[in-house]
Amino acid sequence: MSSPIAEQRFREIVPPLLDDAYSLAKWLSQNPTDAEDIVQDAALRALQALSTVSVDRPKPWFLAIVRNAAMTFMARNRRKTVAYVGDMADLDTLDLPEGADAAPNPEQELIALEDGERLRRAIAGLPSPFLETLVMRDINGLSYREIAEATETPVGTVMSRLARARAMLAKTLRAEA
Amino acid sequence: MTDRDVNERLLRLHAALDGELDAMGSLEFEREMRDDPAIAAEYRRLAALRDAVRRHAPREAAPQALADRIAALTASPPAAPPSQAPASPSATVVPFRRRAWLDSRALAMAASLGVLGFAVGAGLTSLRTPSGSGDVAQHLVSDFARAEIAGQPFDVASSDRHTVKPWLANRTTVSGTIVDLAPRFPLVGGRVAVIDRIPTPTLVYRHNEHVVAVTELPVDAKLARGTGGIETIDGYHVARWSDANLAYVAVSDMDETALGEFVEAFRRGGGPATEPSRP
Repeated sequence: MSSPIAEQRFREIVPPLLDDAYSLAKWLSQNPTDAEDIVQDAALRALQALSTVSVDRPKPWFLAIVRNAAMTFMARNRRKTVAYVGDMADLDTLDLPEGADAAPNPEQELIALEDGERLRRAIAGLPSPFLETLVMRDINGLSYREIAEATETPVGTVMSRLARARAMLAKTLRAEA
Repeated sequence: MTDRDVNERLLRLHAALDGELDAMGSLEFEREMRDDPAIAAEYRRLAALRDAVRRHAPREAAPQALADRIAALTASPPAAPPSQAPASPSATVVPFRRRAWLDSRALAMAASLGVLGFAVGAGLTSLRTPSGSGDVAQHLVSDFARAEIAGQPFDVASSDRHTVKPWLANRTTVSGTIVDLAPRFPLVGGRVAVIDRIPTPTLVYRHNEHVVAVTELPVDAKLARGTGGIETIDGYHVARWSDANLAYVAVSDMDETALGEFVEAFRRGGGPATEPSRP
């Protein structure tokens, strides 16, 4: 049972972040129904936690809970793995040539950007560490430091993941163009 | 150049795009962009990609049923209601949903930013959580600086206010005024600034080699507190004022005097009777 103080904090913190939480959960689970379950689970965890902690920066705090709830949910339901157990070091090396090779046809790329469906598919196809970083940055609007906090990752890693995520997106769009 | 250098330059490019550079870093990056067209081109590509992601994958409103379930988590009256407990939870929950709905509508409008905007480096810049008037001004200054770096201060280029006005009207929820201040301060275009998730119109005027961007905001006690004076933020001059309908924030690289004259002309509404036109 949560304390009145926790409930009050909860009402201040969680409802304003619901759209962000739902969007993040939906991208991570790629399923609207699962996303609702994840957010509800995250909200319960948040309510419990608020009995004992007070929160300075609600947004990265709550989105971290949503992210963890998504991982638990995916593991339990054996959907696409959100948690990467593989070789993270390998994933995080920045293959630079991707960014450096100029688009063979910039106009083609710009046209590709207008195809919303294809862009969303390309985003959904990103490996989880890159997907969550991109979503937190460009959709949830977290700063690098907040993403680092929410994903428990060093800022440098956040930066290289974001750069790679965008390079992968651009590459996918170019490849399909 | 070593791989490491290349790597760091790329990371800085992204950091610039994400507004994560400090003042010195921005200065250096600005110089790099000027010196190296390839960097400037890459910046524009990334900005176009970023803007496309925001446009096509906007934050979604949580379903009402979910919001209701979340509200219900704390809705039951506490077993032993303490005297200082907040009133009814619905008092806080209901207005929020209404706001969320408005926000999502605003987002959808922002998302509808069409073909014109997407190719532009500084296209749709999301300004996050400005909680006070100072923050708004600070964000608009960053916005202004980014637009300058990208070399493209507007999304719709036109000196004709009858072109700019409908363009902005279709993309923002604020119905602004566009004042014709030619020939002294010719209108060169408009863009959309997103303040607190509301797309707001920004008019771009030119004066000699300088640019002034006027953002029109809904009047809000927080924002409207214009002093009438001109302040300096990050080396740019900022003027704030308001009328009965809107609050205005003008950011410029002009000197204070010129900006003061601009503001005065804008407030008078331009027009031949008020601004003695010079030969």
